[in-house]
Parts: sequence; structure tokens; C-alpha cells
Amino acid sequence: MNSIRALCLEMPMTERAEIQMELPKSRLSFLETLRVGSSGLRTRRLRSALSALGITIGIAALISVLGLSASGSADLIKELDALGTNLLTIEAGQGFGAGPVSLPDDAPAMIRRISPVYEVATVSKVPGGVYRNDLIADGRTRGITIVASGLNLINAQQGSLKAGVFLSQVTSQFPAVVLGAVAAERLGIRDLSIGHQLWLGERWFTVIGILNPLLLAADLDRAAIIGYGAAEKFLDHDVDADVIYVRAFPEHILDVRSVMAATVNPESPEEVQVSRASDVLEARVAATSTFTNLFVGLGAVALLVGGIGIANVMVIAVIERRNEIGLRRALGATRFHIATQFLSESLLLSGIGGVAGILMGILVTAIYAISQDWSLIIPGLAVVGGMVSSVLIGGVAGFYPALRAANMSPTEALRTG
Amino acid sequence: MSSLASDSPYAVELNQVSKIYPGTPPVEALSEVSISVPRGELLGIVGASGSGKSTLLHLVGTLTRPTAGSVFIDGLDTSGLSDGALSGIRSRNVGFVFQDFFLLPGVTATENVGNGLLYSGTPERERKRRAEAMLERVGLSHRLAHLPNEMSGGEQQRVAIARALVHDPSFILADEPTGNLDSQNTASLMELMVSLNHDGATVILITHDPEVAEMCARQITLKDGRIEFDSSTVPGNAHD
Repeated sequence: MNSIRALCLEMPMTERAEIQMELPKSRLSFLETLRVGSSGLRTRRLRSALSALGITIGIAALISVLGLSASGSADLIKELDALGTNLLTIEAGQGFGAGPVSLPDDAPAMIRRISPVYEVATVSKVPGGVYRNDLIADGRTRGITIVASGLNLINAQQGSLKAGVFLSQVTSQFPAVVLGAVAAERLGIRDLSIGHQLWLGERWFTVIGILNPLLLAADLDRAAIIGYGAAEKFLDHDVDADVIYVRAFPEHILDVRSVMAATVNPESPEEVQVSRASDVLEARVAATSTFTNLFVGLGAVALLVGGIGIANVMVIAVIERRNEIGLRRALGATRFHIATQFLSESLLLSGIGGVAGILMGILVTAIYAISQDWSLIIPGLAVVGGMVSSVLIGGVAGFYPALRAANMSPTEALRTG
Repeated sequence: MSSLASDSPYAVELNQVSKIYPGTPPVEALSEVSISVPRGELLGIVGASGSGKSTLLHLVGTLTRPTAGSVFIDGLDTSGLSDGALSGIRSRNVGFVFQDFFLLPGVTATENVGNGLLYSGTPERERKRRAEAMLERVGLSHRLAHLPNEMSGGEQQRVAIARALVHDPSFILADEPTGNLDSQNTASLMELMVSLNHDGATVILITHDPEVAEMCARQITLKDGRIEFDSSTVPGNAHD
């Protein structure tokens, strides 16, 4: 600083005088530039609104797609967390040439010896159908199967009851049945206010409970569940485990899974099929995000088209408003002022379009999320990204027209006709 | 005031100014024209189309640069100044009036006049105040909030004159200001011009209408890019 001042003082008088004599400068503050730009838009309301609409639709599409997928996945993930990812389902696989095989009788006991396992529930498929009464022809089962199960099935599945109770020590010995959600619906049983009786091929059973949907075992939704004792006593069924549901501590679940087949059937582990129920839900989350990517792509295309629309409108505006450009140059506007005027018009257009799009996107997401009973999640990144990209598009779309307007010669611009 | 170093007695001086438009063959629109316009003068420049009067207007208004010679505005040589500096001079020292008015559509008379102060960095409130005062001066105090399409041609041109004057320029440069007006409006507009001139405004008026030129104290006739006649050089007819 000081050295510069010293340099100035060393300069000859005439040069200093020249520095002091300043030429008048054209001035237009940032705020005034915005005002001039917005006035240009206000005097052409319809056209401005229409050209901003492209950006609005693009941004709204992006925000709602990202918002919906975030809200939807959040819901799935929440379900997944609630149900746990530590449930393994063990079934007999297909034997080689020997037809269907079954699990060894001692499989549940063997599995219980794996130390991270804390819950083992077994299910045995009982042949026969479930009928509303004894007059319905055999075979018209409506796809409902009978299974016999232990008392801890509902714990292993982390299921809940819509009505009534699950099987107990006592009721599992009696002709009592608990219906899966789909089975109950197919049989037209919504509540237990009147005592429903069902014909299970050989005798009447009383419905004592209805389950809510089990997300990790859709098979059981279509089943009528009875106790082991009842299956042996009344349906003359020899109970051995056909499906085993295993809960293990989540941090060891992969290890447990890896030793499962050999534990269940050391002789031929390849005949044991082990699956992790939560994999299906995870696949659903993944599938959702694949669709999201697709729609985000579509939104981006809409945004691009919107940007081209703005560029088009701005190019036309520059041609159409040639006289205005000439006038402003005559009034003292510099090239820079002209460029910033048109650039600010374009930025305002896309900015307004962007804000409207964000609001519209949030609205769409909110309406859909509420209708689906999801928790509403608007990803902050989508909002910020939407705003940034719309401003960016405005800048790019307005750049060339602004440059063109700025480089127009004043005399050319003032020519009429 | 807001003008440049103002000790020069001349608002505008052209010194041997030529303008040649490149092309095949090149067109010499003006050749070695010298004109001095003292402050307070009402100068009418007449000429048929193609005589070079539009080029002269653009040169005096610093909208274009001469091929040779120099243009002085308020004693300042504008040759060699940057585009930005010329814009600055226009924003302070020149007031333009155009044949087609060039009022911004959808903007009130007051705002249109206020635009005359826009690029000198005048705050909005002051722009409004001075614009209203100037509209009153040109007899349009009842049209402040009117849009251009709500006014007659004569009124629109008065708005344009108010816009040219609102920043207190060194001179007004009027390009065929009566070209789009009927005879009655032409007469009243010229009356306004003369009255503004009496109040001290320097006016350079370009026209092809000899009757309009008649009303100017000094007249210059252009022909083929040269001065054919300058009333100030005729003995006994000289201005002030």
C-alpha cells in the first residue's frame, strides 16, 4: 500500500491530474440489473410463464421421483429393519432323481446346537384343504394349505395378529386354527365376532386367530395353521419338519448360513435349500432404485428440453428486441449491461421455474406419500441439486443470447424495419 | 454538472470527420465534415436520404467511430476511447430522440423517462422524481402512469423528449423526431423544441423536412456526405 502511494507521489504533476480527471462511467447496480431483467419478463408474462414451465416440469419430475423413491425405500427399509435380516428359511431341496426329499428328523435339534441360533420354528405341511363347510367338493381349496406348526412360529416370523390369539400349549392339542392374512380374506373371515368354523377335510376346526401379513414368509399368508398335536390327533398326520425357520444373531448370520446345510443333512447337504427371507425385500429396494434411476434420467431429459426452450425464447427475444438493445446502448448501457440484462432474464426464468418445480415436486411427493401411508422424505440433495441445476441451465441457456445482444452494434440495433 | 470538463464553449465539435463503410466498393458516407455546435444552439441538419445525416447522427452520438477525424463532446476528444467510456459519455452528455420513439412497451411514461437516468447510476426514487418533473415540463403531467400504447404519437414523442432531457445532457440529438407525426403534432413538437432551446438546451435536429429545419436558428444542409450549406457561414445570418 505504502509503496503504491509513494509511487503516485513521485509521478509528475500532469500524470496525477490525468488520473484525477475521471471520465463519466456507466453504472448499473446488481439490483437494478435484476430489476431491468424482471421488467423484461413482466411485460411478456405469458411467454415467460410458458418458457419457465419446461424447467418447472423437469425439476418437479426430479424432486418427486427422488422424493417418492426415498419415501418408499425408507418404508421398505424400515420394514426390513423391523423384521430383521437374520431369518433363515430351510427347506428340503430337490433330490437327484429320487423325487422330493425331506429334511432329516433330527434337523431342528441339530440346528439348535449352532450357538448363534436363538430361535428355531418348524412347520409341517399337512395334506388336505380348508373349506367353509363340509358340502364343498374336495379340491376346491382356493389355494389355501394346511400347515402344522410349533408355538414359536409367530416369534420366529415376528408376526402379529389381526384378531384373536395364536396357538397355545392347550389350543394346539384341540381343533383350533389360525389363519394367514390371505387365507382369511379368501375365506371371507374378517373378524372373530362370531365363532367361525372351518371344515379341514376330516372335521370342523374353530378359527381362533387371524394373522397380519408376514412379509418374510408369504407362503404362510395363504395357510391355515394348526398345532402339531391337533394334526396328529385329528388329521392323522405324521409330523416332521418340512420348513424350518431359524433366527440367529445378526452379526453371525452369514456364518450360520454357511454351515446350515451340512448341519441339517451331513450326508447330502446339497439336498438342503437355505434362503434368507430378507434378500427378497432387499431386492425390492434395489429394484425401486433402478426405476428411480430411469425416472431421474427422464427428469433430466425434461430439464434439458426446458433449458433448450429458454435458450430458444432468449434468442428470439434478442432478435425481437433489437431496438430496445439499441435504445439502451444510446441511453448509456455498456455491452456488459446488455449482456447481464439478458443473462439475468434467463436466470430469473429458470430460477422461477426451478422454485416452482421444487414446490410442485414436494407437493406431488407429499400427496402420494400420504396416500400410501409412507413417511414423507424430501431428499435435501434433490432440492439443492434441482435449484443449482435450474440456475445452471438458465446460465448456459442465456449465455449465447446475452453475448449476441452485447455484441450487436448500436447503430445496427437502432435500425428500424 | 454531470457533464464532462465543461470549459469548452462547444457542446459538439466535428473535426475533418470522415466515415467510410467497408465493402466493394467502399461507401464514403461522410467526407471531411467539420461542424462546431456552440452551447445553447438549435441546429437543424437537413438532407435527402443517403446524404449522410444518419451517419452524422451516429457519430455525434458516439454510437459509431469515425474512419478519420475526431469528434469532440464537451471539449473531450472521443477518438481512442473504449466502448465502455463512450457508453459513459452517452449516459451523461447525450440525449437521444428517435423517429420511432423507442419507448419500452408495458412500462409507464414515468419509468420510460426514468430510464434516461438508469445507466448513470441514479437511484430509483430520484429517477422517479426527476422523470415526473420532466414530464411536467413537456406538458404530460396527466400521463405519468400511462403506458405507451395508451398515448398518442405526439404524446409518445414528448415522453421520448423528456427521457432525452431528464439527465441534463450537454445536447439533445433528435433523429427525424417529427417523422411519424401529423402536421399538427409536428408544429406543437417543434414549439416544444424551440421552447426547450430557449431554456438553454442545445438541440441538434436531423430532418428531411425543410419546414422543420426552417424553425431552427441554424441550418446545415448535407449532400453526398459533404456540407452543402451552413447558415452560420452566410454573412448577416450568423448565429449569436
